[in-house]
Amino acid sequence: MTALLEARGVVKRFGGLTAVDQVDLSVGTGEMVGLIGPNGSGKTTLFDCLSRVLDIDAGSIGFNGADITRYRPHHVARLGMSRTFQLIRVYPELTVSENLELSIQWERMGMRGLFSRTDAATLRKVDSLLEFLQLARLRDERAGTLSGGQRRLLEIGMALMSEPKLVLLDEATSGVNPTLVADIADRLLEVNRNDGVAFLLVEHNVQFVADLCERVVVLNHGAKLAEGTPQQIMRDPAVIEAYFGAKAEGAT
Amino acid sequence: MRHRLGQAGRAVLGAGLIVLAILPLLPAVSNATLFTLTLMLTSVGVAVNWNLTGGFTGYVDFGHAVWFGIGAYTTAILMSLQSNGPQIGWAPIPAIGLGALVAGVLAAAIGRITMRLKGPYFSIAMLGTFVAMREIVRVSGGLTGGGVGLTLPPYLNRPLFYYIQLVLVAALVTFTWWLRRTRFGSALVAIREDEIGAEMRGINTTRFKVTVFSLAGLSTGLFGGLWAYQNTFVDPDIAFVEVRTIDAVMGTMLGGLGTVAGPVVGTVALYWLREVLWANLLEYHLIVQGGLLIVIVLFIPRGLVGLVDRRGTSVATLWERWLRRRPAPEEKRDKP
Repeated sequence: MTALLEARGVVKRFGGLTAVDQVDLSVGTGEMVGLIGPNGSGKTTLFDCLSRVLDIDAGSIGFNGADITRYRPHHVARLGMSRTFQLIRVYPELTVSENLELSIQWERMGMRGLFSRTDAATLRKVDSLLEFLQLARLRDERAGTLSGGQRRLLEIGMALMSEPKLVLLDEATSGVNPTLVADIADRLLEVNRNDGVAFLLVEHNVQFVADLCERVVVLNHGAKLAEGTPQQIMRDPAVIEAYFGAKAEGAT
Repeated sequence: MRHRLGQAGRAVLGAGLIVLAILPLLPAVSNATLFTLTLMLTSVGVAVNWNLTGGFTGYVDFGHAVWFGIGAYTTAILMSLQSNGPQIGWAPIPAIGLGALVAGVLAAAIGRITMRLKGPYFSIAMLGTFVAMREIVRVSGGLTGGGVGLTLPPYLNRPLFYYIQLVLVAALVTFTWWLRRTRFGSALVAIREDEIGAEMRGINTTRFKVTVFSLAGLSTGLFGGLWAYQNTFVDPDIAFVEVRTIDAVMGTMLGGLGTVAGPVVGTVALYWLREVLWANLLEYHLIVQGGLLIVIVLFIPRGLVGLVDRRGTSVATLWERWLRRRPAPEEKRDKP
């Protein structure tokens, strides 16, 4: 499997605090990788570094064949990386439909497209995504009036709208009711299998990660603690200790 | 959210334009009244331009009047050129056009620097730009006439100036309406709502911000040039006056920030309010004006245009909500 995303020795410091410490991480084309760790372990900071929202202090990041270490976020997005955020980022004053319309692939748009209204093909895609996410009845509602779970779904839709190669999902199930979580998992798998979209998931819901991902990376105190299949990770004494603060039964 | 103009709205707009078009033909309308109306149209134009950056894009510019001053001064310098006595000044149209262009180019250059700043830092940087430019004009006496100012060749055709401004304002509002409906306009709103999110979704926010900032600067420069020609005189203290920015901010807030009609409705209302208060409460008119504006901002945060938006918000419901202290629907963001 060729590496779509390849981070090497990524370091991010905030003053004296090293939030991300020499992390290596790769995601292959069409792969689903989980990124887990206790609160404050640096998962979201690493996401911000990978998507170039934050500059890194050391290391390198490659994506889709390009060295994106010094790219701006919109360049990365145009290369095919999209993401959601831990604290949901939708455009509250715009309608649900407008939120999706604005999340298209801007790279392919010329001046004519920029200064025209949304084309029929994009609107069809918006409608299809809204059906897919079960948000069709809220099409013309302001995004700011949606519930937390609905906004989470909308944000996932925005991430999928640009036909990405890789989606970084930051706690996609947070605030979403359990029935919907299963739905989201099904939909992500569908997108992954049908369109070959790769996913990197930050999650606290370990079962969700285990159901979806072939490989899981564990962070603790900013550094990589473990990497393996979900089954290997769940049995790893170091991971159990990081999560529960005590040595695992039988561990030495 | 895009506001759609209903049938009633189109009828009101059409009737309003007809009334404005026939005004100069009425015997009761004096040249002084036309001059006041022309100045009001200038203020409307500046407010519409300010709204492009302050309302749509969310970058509150406290120095927007700098582009007005640059347009005015460039026009005045070009039209009052002299060569050992005889005037060899430019004709008004190319002079005003170049004034607008200079304002637009300078806005692009300065915007590339200042629009990297966020929130109050941007606002203060633009206020600083405004003050600095006024002082540069004041000390560059050889070119600008310094504190004494420049006199332009007079052309006192009030109805003509009125019609030119009316057409310009109508064209500008139409342009703004069209722009808001394009992807470019939606991208500006996205930047206002969440700049990091917009950037992460592929929008080159710097390019969008600087483009709209330059367009606003160019257009305000055009109004500045026209004003200079109509006024026949410029000096630093009347071409670069803070009140022009304050009026644009107040008019836009009053009418509806980030809406197409807001700056027009708000600025006209502000002018009307001033006239009424001036005539009836001369000593207290500024106090009453300030108090009324606070009340309007408190009770109608979406401005006058928000009173008739398609969600049906009315004064009565806002009053009721204020009394009961219930959050507005858009504030209920975390309902289960």
